[in-house]
Amino acid sequence: MRIIVIGGAGLPEQVAVALHKAGDEVTVIDTDPGREAALVKAGLRSVRGQAAVPSTLEAAGALRADVLVACTRSDEDNLVVSYLAKRRFDVPRVIARVNDVANEMLFDGSWGVDAVVSPSTLLVSVIKQTRNADSDSAGAVAQPPA
Amino acid sequence: MQVVILGCGRTGSALATRCETEGDQVTVIELEESCRSRLPLGFGGRFVAGNGITPGVLEAAGIKEAEAFVALTPNDNANIVASRVARDLFRVPHVIARLHDPDRAPVYSELGIATVGSVHTTVNRVMQLLHHLTLEPQQTFGNGETLLVRSRVPDYLAGRRVLEFNVPAEIQVVELSRAGHSRIPEHSTPLEGGDVVSFVVAAGSLGRLRSFLDGRLS
Repeated sequence: MRIIVIGGAGLPEQVAVALHKAGDEVTVIDTDPGREAALVKAGLRSVRGQAAVPSTLEAAGALRADVLVACTRSDEDNLVVSYLAKRRFDVPRVIARVNDVANEMLFDGSWGVDAVVSPSTLLVSVIKQTRNADSDSAGAVAQPPA
Repeated sequence: MQVVILGCGRTGSALATRCETEGDQVTVIELEESCRSRLPLGFGGRFVAGNGITPGVLEAAGIKEAEAFVALTPNDNANIVASRVARDLFRVPHVIARLHDPDRAPVYSELGIATVGSVHTTVNRVMQLLHHLTLEPQQTFGNGETLLVRSRVPDYLAGRRVLEFNVPAEIQVVELSRAGHSRIPEHSTPLEGGDVVSFVVAAGSLGRLRSFLDGRLS
């Protein structure tokens, strides 16, 4: 699949590298020039610039992309990029990261978002599952699946 | 009017101060608590610290009762998102956003948000000062090919006749105001210093009209 990942060091880069290793064709858009060399060395395509500007998305191949992941640390950037990806470039699957849970309700189809990833909500749900498993097995520590 | 202003930088704090002076009920939202000090002592409005795209923060600022929302942060994306949330989620009737990067203008217009562009406004104003000087268009026609401008007649042009200003297909005197009364002058009417004259001008001839008013009648 052709995937565009928006964002720099940390989560976005790790996602991009993992997808690349899994055999996908990955392009990273980031404003920070410092990461470009490392990405290219790892075999990824890199486009430097503001992802919320249509010309940057086009340069990253948004017209042909199957998936776009808006993964920056800024909720407003992720929303505007998602909107452009869907409305301008008709990207079939747009995934956006929520940074502040208080903004999660904004991440919906009106901004072109198909799927939401909220690290803190995810963590809370995992903790809740663990707690439920604990009470089900009367205090036994939940074991990760083998 | 109840106004919520997002951003307490130079522009946001100046607008908040002005609105409050003119009797509006103002709430300012700003990420940085330290920016509160940009508001004058005795400022009667409210200050809410937080991210202006967050629905809970907007609610704390009274967005549900607001008649107007103005997004003035230095971040275009924050302005776009906050404006749309104010308009679509909270049904604020008047939403205005500042636009820094002209490349993003199409996004705002797609979303139907009125913008004030720093670059656009500055370039227009400078061009006006460079080329038209005091000639401020009162009205433009079509796509701006033709303009209506009014100008005070300088004293050194007293005695010149209306027909001396008319240039076929370029400049046409259409109205003359003198001593508080307006009329449509005849070709032979002599002008007096202090008259205010309305011209219909082709956009390309503004420079020529300017030269006329500078006294360079050809």
